[in-house]
Amino acid sequence: MTDRAWETARIDEIPRLGKTWIPIRRHFDIGAFGINAWTAEGDGDEIIGEHVEQTGHEELYFVSSGHATFTVGGAEIDAPAGSLVFVRDPEMKRKAVAREAGTTIMAVGAKVGEAFEASAWEVTGEMWPLYEAGDYEGGARILREALERDPDPALYYNLACMEALLGQSEQAIEHLSRAVDEPRFRETASTDSDLDSIRDDPRFVELLSPRT
Amino acid sequence: MNITHIDELERIQMPDGFVWRPVRSHFGIRAFGVNVYTPSTPDSQIVEEHTENQLGHQELYLVLRGRAAFTVGDDSFELGQGQLVFVRDPSLRRGAVAVDADTAVLAVGAKPGEAFQPSAWELGFRASQMEPREAVAYVEQYMSEYPESAATYYNLACGRALAGDPAGALDALERAADMDADAVRKWAENDTDLDSIRDDPRFAKAVGA
Repeated sequence: MTDRAWETARIDEIPRLGKTWIPIRRHFDIGAFGINAWTAEGDGDEIIGEHVEQTGHEELYFVSSGHATFTVGGAEIDAPAGSLVFVRDPEMKRKAVAREAGTTIMAVGAKVGEAFEASAWEVTGEMWPLYEAGDYEGGARILREALERDPDPALYYNLACMEALLGQSEQAIEHLSRAVDEPRFRETASTDSDLDSIRDDPRFVELLSPRT
Repeated sequence: MNITHIDELERIQMPDGFVWRPVRSHFGIRAFGVNVYTPSTPDSQIVEEHTENQLGHQELYLVLRGRAAFTVGDDSFELGQGQLVFVRDPSLRRGAVAVDADTAVLAVGAKPGEAFQPSAWELGFRASQMEPREAVAYVEQYMSEYPESAATYYNLACGRALAGDPAGALDALERAADMDADAVRKWAENDTDLDSIRDDPRFAKAVGA
């Protein structure tokens, strides 16, 4: 956080959260619009997980390096570096897959007709250092506070992980159930070792079964 | 289709030497401002020298390729591909000159704490490329999509005066003066665009001369 009148950064030098998320808005503490970048480690990696914009944001994606394939509302879009992809409808499902290792995509978002507020899911950035330090109670607290503002599936997923790590199985199952409507969380959950303590629970198996 | 490539964006060459490559209006984005800029010659202006005092926007610039020499406030620095500069303070004067001929810069802007509205300068930039009659028709058609501004009405007055519509020009000039009398007085003082209406009594009244 800073109140400097201006500042510069290199996209690839902004500290990442996790392996792929480059939190540009948080880095500069931008108050007027949302902006982030994600980078893929390998060819074929999902850079932008399939999602709808629960925040109601219009989103503009820009492929700043590499080559990606977007899928927006079921339509595949070939997007080499320099491509701009605009998704007006927040309800439209969108995702992007890397066609080259190191592909980086920037996303700008805000809601039409409303003053910008930072999205609740961004607090996962504050959760990350606590998680890495093993402070799962602290991480869970941040996520619960954010969920009071916004019932975002990413927040529920991460909360379920914290609770599973803390051995709070009932809460973990309950919160995982609120995340897995999004296929990307069913997929992640299937191999996420954070959830190992609830993996053998029959309800877990049911939550991860494909939707009809 | 809601996809394009930066090299396929429209080119609108501005007198300062930079080329405006409209992104917001290309897609009809209504939630934030976003545009790409390229230079008209290898070392021309690429980002217009300006402040954001009127709009109050925070701005983030990203060098998409090439290199550009930025000036922000009293500081000058060169940025290359993948480098960002965030200008939080709207009152800081900022601009950039291209270092490489193929440089491209992306700019994103909006005002914190307020719902975004498209910037009226988009109208003026486009209209400045057109013949007066065409410019007037263009501004009249699209001005309702932008917040009302003294500059828009003033430019409309100039266009109408040049296009042989003195009554319409005076209407627009009066409207502009109602919104920002001081600015209109300054703009109108030596503007030859308005010569055809300068002797009308309504002109003197509007600009407070």
